Amino acid sequence: MNEWTNTDREPDPLPSSLPGPTAPGLGEPQAEVEETLKRIQSHKGVIGTMVVNAEGIPIRTTLDNSTTVQYAGLLHHLTMKAKSTVRDIDPQNDLTFLRIRSKKHEIMVAPDKEYLLIVIQNPCE
Amino acid sequence: TATRAQSGLLEPAGSAGVAVLATGGVASSPGPGRPGPLQDETLGVASVPSQWRAVQGIREETKSCQTVSIATANASAQARNHVDAQVQTEAPVPVSVQPLSQYDVPRLAAFLRRVEAMVIRELNKNWQSHAFDGFEVNWTEQQQMVSCLYTLGYPPAQAQGLHVTGISWNSTGSVVACAYGRLDHGDWSTLKSFVCAWNVDRRGLSPRQPSAVVEVPSAVLCLAFHPTQPSHVAGGLYSGEVLVWDLSRPEDPLLWRTGLTDDTHTDPVSQVVWLPEPGHSHRFQVLSVATDGKVLLWRGVGAGQLQLTEGFALVMQQLPRSTKLKKHPRGETEVGATAVAFSSFDPRLFILGTEGGFPLKCSLAAGEAALTRMPSSVPLRAPAQLTFSPHGGPIYAVSCSPFHRNLFLSAGTDGHVHLYSMLQAPPLISLQLSLKYLFAVRWSPVRPLVFAAASGEGDVQLFDLQKSSQKPTVLIKQTQDESPVYCLEFNSQQTQLLAAGDAQGTVKVWQLSTEFTEQGPREAEDLDRLAAEVAT
Repeated sequence: MNEWTNTDREPDPLPSSLPGPTAPGLGEPQAEVEETLKRIQSHKGVIGTMVVNAEGIPIRTTLDNSTTVQYAGLLHHLTMKAKSTVRDIDPQNDLTFLRIRSKKHEIMVAPDKEYLLIVIQNPCE
Repeated sequence: TATRAQSGLLEPAGSAGVAVLATGGVASSPGPGRPGPLQDETLGVASVPSQWRAVQGIREETKSCQTVSIATANASAQARNHVDAQVQTEAPVPVSVQPLSQYDVPRLAAFLRRVEAMVIRELNKNWQSHAFDGFEVNWTEQQQMVSCLYTLGYPPAQAQGLHVTGISWNSTGSVVACAYGRLDHGDWSTLKSFVCAWNVDRRGLSPRQPSAVVEVPSAVLCLAFHPTQPSHVAGGLYSGEVLVWDLSRPEDPLLWRTGLTDDTHTDPVSQVVWLPEPGHSHRFQVLSVATDGKVLLWRGVGAGQLQLTEGFALVMQQLPRSTKLKKHPRGETEVGATAVAFSSFDPRLFILGTEGGFPLKCSLAAGEAALTRMPSSVPLRAPAQLTFSPHGGPIYAVSCSPFHRNLFLSAGTDGHVHLYSMLQAPPLISLQLSLKYLFAVRWSPVRPLVFAAASGEGDVQLFDLQKSSQKPTVLIKQTQDESPVYCLEFNSQQTQLLAAGDAQGTVKVWQLSTEFTEQGPREAEDLDRLAAEVAT
């Protein structure tokens, strides 16, 4: 007997005695976001962390507003340019990570189709 | 012969027109000695043609003339439509605080889950990497030496023997203005003096001809350009007045003045500073300090009048006592203020340099009333919060570090420069730079460890605390005859320029070498470390 199971349906969530990202409730993804950002921010030498959406508008940040707006706008443009550069050279290729090293610190951008994660680190010399 | 006798009567000259004498016969002409019957004879008419006068006959010739045909052509012209347009720069709108936009939490969580591992890995690699150790990139052409770019002066002021007493760069960094006056406090209060401005970015810069000159009825002792308006400049006069000019209006540059009221300073104004108005960050007020002990805040109201909004008075009795200060104040002696510098980190905190040689830490928010009998329309308050250890003579300049919230420099007539931290009274470092007076000291706007000082020996000394904390890195000789350099200012837009004015009435614009304009990688940390060496 061949029974086709419906693979579209998500499996039933685990009972909430185990804390996990798929536990029900709106608080969990929010807490996970906070924790992840805090982990990155507390890493050695990190000066600031921010998340920017696909239009270049910041949605989470640890820096002050004017600096954040400046970084978000400029790095969004640069990431789009870098991505198109990579795609133009080889259409099968795509941008995975962008690092800019300057005299004072290093800026790291992790791009995605919906968001950008920007981390500014002061590396040890 | 007979013909010969005829020739005695008429003289045929040439061959033209010989008259023929119509006679009856040759023998019939009566001549002397010829016997003949007396008879009447009619002789013909003898005509003698003129040899030299020609018959004026009418000579005819037919000529005609015709003008050349006029060439004509048709052409039409049409005035083009034109539209007037104007360009006006506006003061930059202050960046408004944008609320963070709404987002979809689960998708953000999913995104972070995807990238976190990679980012952490890169952060770790970076922290341990030595790939870039000692790797430096030079983007600009390296300038090895300090050179004098321009030597500017205004001959009428120099002819009167005026000194350059104040100097300022405007907000765009392209115009340098200098104030002429005398600093040796003679009876020069009735002497006309000048404020001159040169545009160093303009191609046809003529060093002897400023692009703007303002005649001022009294000696100007200090000058400060407006922080955002490129043509407004404030100056403090020997008479105690504070004036604000607009250099873009040559026919009537005076914008505001304090006038000589009860509120005005009674002594020459030592320094003027522009401050943002609390609450309106794009409007500015003028703060003036003078040796009469008053620190006054002025605002421009209509009709060109500067009105006093706040005032402070320094009274000896009210100064916070520090153990170094042995003087016991008696009565209400005023303490003359000779220099002022505002902190770049706290806009209400300022440092005052005094005639007594001790810097004072003051605040605009101080509330205590000043014990002074000086008349004023606004209640005067006592601003001092901390008294620092004194110099050996009056202080002529103070400057707060743009990179560290607690550090400031002061320089005075004892030839020493003191580096103070606002947290303690004795100085962190005390350097003797000159055997004569020091008239100005300024922190560099780009290098946290560099400052410049102007000395009475005619030189500008550039100190780099990273290289040496004992002697200047560069000594620029500004005047040849050792006449003092009275003022200097760094250009915060074009950071390689430093302007200094001296007693000969010349302003020299120096181009600094690249080592003074580019920040090294760890300078801010070195400055912090210096400040942390607080001697206890």
